[in-house]
Amino acid sequence: MSIPFQELLDFDVATLSGKLRARDISPVELTEAYLARIEQTDGSLRAYITVTDTLARKAAKKAEAELAAGKWRGPLHGVPIALKDLVYTKGLRTTGGSKILADFKPDHDATVWTRLKRAGAVLLGKLNLHEFAYGITSSNPHWGTVRNPYALDRIPGGSSGGAAAAIVARSAAATIGTDTGGSIRIPAALCGCVGLKPTWSRVSRYGVLPLAYTLDHVGPITRTVRDAAMMLQIIAGADRNDSTSSRERVPDFSAGLDGQISGMRIGVIRELNDGLSDDVARSFNAALETLRSLGATVDHVTIPSLPLAGVMNGIITWAEALEIHEDWMRTRPQDYGDDVRRILEIGMMTTATSYIRAQRARARTLAESIAVLADRDVLVAPASAIVAPKIGTTQILEAREDRVDVVAAILRFTQPFNSTGQPAIAIPTGLSPDGLPIAMQVIGRPFGESEVIRVAAAYERARGALAPPSEIA
Amino acid sequence: MPLVTGQTVKQVMRDLYGYEISDADADAIAHSAGAMLTLAGHLGAIGLAGIEPPFGYPVLLAEAARLAKARS
Repeated sequence: MSIPFQELLDFDVATLSGKLRARDISPVELTEAYLARIEQTDGSLRAYITVTDTLARKAAKKAEAELAAGKWRGPLHGVPIALKDLVYTKGLRTTGGSKILADFKPDHDATVWTRLKRAGAVLLGKLNLHEFAYGITSSNPHWGTVRNPYALDRIPGGSSGGAAAAIVARSAAATIGTDTGGSIRIPAALCGCVGLKPTWSRVSRYGVLPLAYTLDHVGPITRTVRDAAMMLQIIAGADRNDSTSSRERVPDFSAGLDGQISGMRIGVIRELNDGLSDDVARSFNAALETLRSLGATVDHVTIPSLPLAGVMNGIITWAEALEIHEDWMRTRPQDYGDDVRRILEIGMMTTATSYIRAQRARARTLAESIAVLADRDVLVAPASAIVAPKIGTTQILEAREDRVDVVAAILRFTQPFNSTGQPAIAIPTGLSPDGLPIAMQVIGRPFGESEVIRVAAAYERARGALAPPSEIA
Repeated sequence: MPLVTGQTVKQVMRDLYGYEISDADADAIAHSAGAMLTLAGHLGAIGLAGIEPPFGYPVLLAEAARLAKARS
């Protein structure tokens, strides 16, 4: 029981799990280390909205007693985690990153939290996000601007910015985020950690504040692919409280973690391989070489309707988000941040016909994607065209000297797989010369998380460890 | 481009949501919405004939069953 705090914080969930079960580490001591780390870093990072220190200590003591009695609940037993603050926690403030829900205490838990709690996870707190998850900067006017642990003057991405920042800053061992247009993968990519968006319906959305019903996904943000697989194992599966949750069999997501990818076939999506910054292009091409060196066959594929997937996503999100927010937009428009109120106002112009057409078009893009996956195992694409921009930047200079919209340069790569609902993981491919994270996505067939995890894990092993950020004070 | 004007935006906000915005904000919203609606019009070009919207009766039935169970 004399492992230094820093060393405790550096263990991934897989390592912690073994040490907790063997009682080489105490859940109480581990939780104290994380609470101290939050205290140390969060003044700068603003990753947390609420720190549940009293509850965390209580849960850690309970885990310690259970482990001492030989009752092991599974790999998350005693592991300190945190939830994006739109996941309902009974009796605990769940703000959605908003002023409107600043004092909202749900009367029930989200299914995802019920399952994690049952697995013995210790809740450290609720994580900051872009207001109502409707944006990708996590510059939150009500709860503070979340900062990127690799460069405090840059955005962490969003909307699950607090989740990714906490993982990289070592102020949570694992986290849960949500993804409607990229909100798990974008912050994971810009902060240098792993973000797994499962197939739509794989994880229950019950008790998760919605942004867009037919595009919302719940999934883990973690340090490693193995940790993401372990988290997904616990939260995946049918839920009688969510009639849209899938009854598809839940496989052992960790089964292929140590597998080889020699002979696997990987398609590079041509439509997502342009407009990249030089650093991103270099890193992505190096990642493709690594995949080839591992024995995979890499070729290029075309998904012709994919460039319009952003339009599908945009129209659907505008309409569904406005339906969710309509009453508040009538009664409390002044309580929204300027950017979120503006996009909800734009949504007021959406037509019913464009919404239905966007919904129908999703099937076309998914069909094209499934077709190219008929003789390939997974697809790959960059996770963003650019590294994390500075806070407040709205446009960047592209390689061709054009000014492009920052949001478009990022969302273009992630939104298509919300429209198609396919599983997609963001995994770091390296750091830019400026020391900022760069990432790629691995995309699978519907319910093909196992292949996605297998390829990402093999790549992660070959890539080696990413240099950590400088100390955050 | 569909005819979304700043005046349309202002009227929708006034009549349906009960608040006023500036002319400049209304024009900016009209521009963004108009551009997206124009692109949405192009979705038909990818071949949508015969494609149903993904709102299945099984989901409707399952949701109704869940609600009925919660009430009983």
